[in-house]
Amino acid sequence: MKKSEICVIVSIIIFIFSLAYITSLGGLGYLPPVDVRKLAQIYLSSTYNPFEPTNTSSGYESVTAIVWDFRGLDTFFETAVFYGAIIASIAVYRGVEIDTRKKPIGMSPIAKTVTRLSTVLIPTVAASIAFHGHLTPGGGFQAGSVATVVIVLIVMVFGLRKVILKGLTKPKILLLRSLGLIGIGLTAIGLVLAGLVIGVNAYIFQNQAKPIARISYPMWVDDILVGGSLLLFNLFEFIAVTAGFALVLMLFSIEEEEVRKVIK
Amino acid sequence: MIEIFTLAFLMLVSIASVIAAFKAIIEKDMVRAIVYSAIQSAMYALIFYVLMAPDIVLVYIPVSVGITPAILLFVTKKTERYDGD
Amino acid sequence: MEFPVIVASVIVVSLYVNLGIALYGIFARPSLVKKLLAITILSDTANAFAVLVGYRWPRTGTPQPPVLMNTTDYNESIKYYVEHAVDPLPQALVLTAIVIGLAVTLFIAFIIIQYYRLHGTVDVRKTKALSR
Repeated sequence: MKKSEICVIVSIIIFIFSLAYITSLGGLGYLPPVDVRKLAQIYLSSTYNPFEPTNTSSGYESVTAIVWDFRGLDTFFETAVFYGAIIASIAVYRGVEIDTRKKPIGMSPIAKTVTRLSTVLIPTVAASIAFHGHLTPGGGFQAGSVATVVIVLIVMVFGLRKVILKGLTKPKILLLRSLGLIGIGLTAIGLVLAGLVIGVNAYIFQNQAKPIARISYPMWVDDILVGGSLLLFNLFEFIAVTAGFALVLMLFSIEEEEVRKVIK
Repeated sequence: MIEIFTLAFLMLVSIASVIAAFKAIIEKDMVRAIVYSAIQSAMYALIFYVLMAPDIVLVYIPVSVGITPAILLFVTKKTERYDGD
Repeated sequence: MEFPVIVASVIVVSLYVNLGIALYGIFARPSLVKKLLAITILSDTANAFAVLVGYRWPRTGTPQPPVLMNTTDYNESIKYYVEHAVDPLPQALVLTAIVIGLAVTLFIAFIIIQYYRLHGTVDVRKTKALSR
C-alpha cells in the first residue's frame, strides 16, 4: 500500500465521521421519529379529501399526487434535465449508420421464445402500473423503467439489426418521445387554454378547482376514480421515459467498427 | 412479533449491503464487480421495501438491478475488463 | 433502548460506511468504469438516506405506506392515514432522482466510451503518462 492511498483512506474516514457528527447535531434527530413533519401532514391529509373540495388532489396515492400535482413544476423541469441528458447522448453518436444488410446475430431459440413471451407480459405490467398510478403504488416513471427492461432484453437476444428490420427505427422512437413531451406540456397548460376559451381564471399545473379558479379536470368518471390530470401525466411520462431510454440503449448496442468509420 | 422479525431481517440486509459494496469496489475484474454491485442494489431494494416505500421499489428494481448493470456490462465490453494493473 | 431505534442506528451506520466505500472507489481506483460504478453506489446511498429520514414509527400500530387504503369511511380513514403513513415527500424526490440519475449515468457511460476511442485506455494513470 502506497503513502498516497493511506492519505486518501484517512481523509475519507475523517470526512465521514465529521459528516455523521454534523447530521446528528442538525436535522437527523431521534430515529425513527414518532411523528412526521407539518408539511407531510398537510400533503397526507389533502391527497384525497372530499370534505375540502378546493384543497385536494385527486388520487389515493400521495407520492403521485406530490410528483404531478403539488410539486408538478419541479417534475416538469426534472423531465427537462432527463431530455437534456438523452439529447447529449444522441449527439455523441451523430452520423452513425447501421448496415442492415448483414445477418442479424442473436441468441439460441430457447432464449428467443422466452423473450417473445416476456415481450407481451412486461409491457402489460408496465401499462397497468402507469394506468393505476393514482390508485396503487406506481406511476409514469416506474412504468417507463419497467418497460425499458424489455427493450434491453429484445436488443440483447434478437440483435439490433433484427429490431430495426422489424420497424423500430430511430425516427419513430424520436417521434414517440416528442409525443410524450408535447402531451406533458399540453396537460400542464390544458386548463389555462380551456379557461381562455370559456373566459374563466385558471392556473398552470392546476388539477382540481381552486377558490378563484372554478375549473377542474374530471375526478370521477362513472364511479371510477380517474384522478384528473394525474392519469394523463402518468400516461405521457410513461411514453416519454420508455422512448428516451429505448433510443439510448439501442445506440449503445451498435458495434464499435461502425462507429469508428465515422470518428476518424 | 412479525415487526420484530422484519426489523431483524432489515439489520442483516444492511450489513450484507456493506459487504457487497466493499467487494464491488475492491474486485479487479469488472464483470464480477458489476455482479456484486447488483447484489448491493438488491439489498437496497429490500431496505426500501421495509421502509414503506413501494413506489421507490418499483422504480429501483428495474433501474438498479436491471438497466444499470446492463449499461456497465456494455461499457466493460467496449473498453477494458480489468481495473488497474 | 427500543428495538426499532437499534435497527435504525445499524442502518445509519451501514449507510455511512457505504458512503465511505463509494468515496474511496471514486478517489482511489484508476479505472473510469469503476469510478462510474462507485458513483451509482454513492447516489443510491444518498437516496436511501433520504427515505430513511422520512420513516416513522407511530405510537400505536405499525407504519403504513403513503397510499390511502381504506376507502369506505373517509372521515375515519383520512385521520388514521395522517397518523400512521410515512413521509411521502422524500419518496417523491427520490423517485425522480433515480430516473434522472439513470439518464445522467447513461450520458457518462457514453463519454467514457468516447474517451476510450480517443485515448485507447480508461486508466487515468496511463492517460496522464501519455500526455507528458
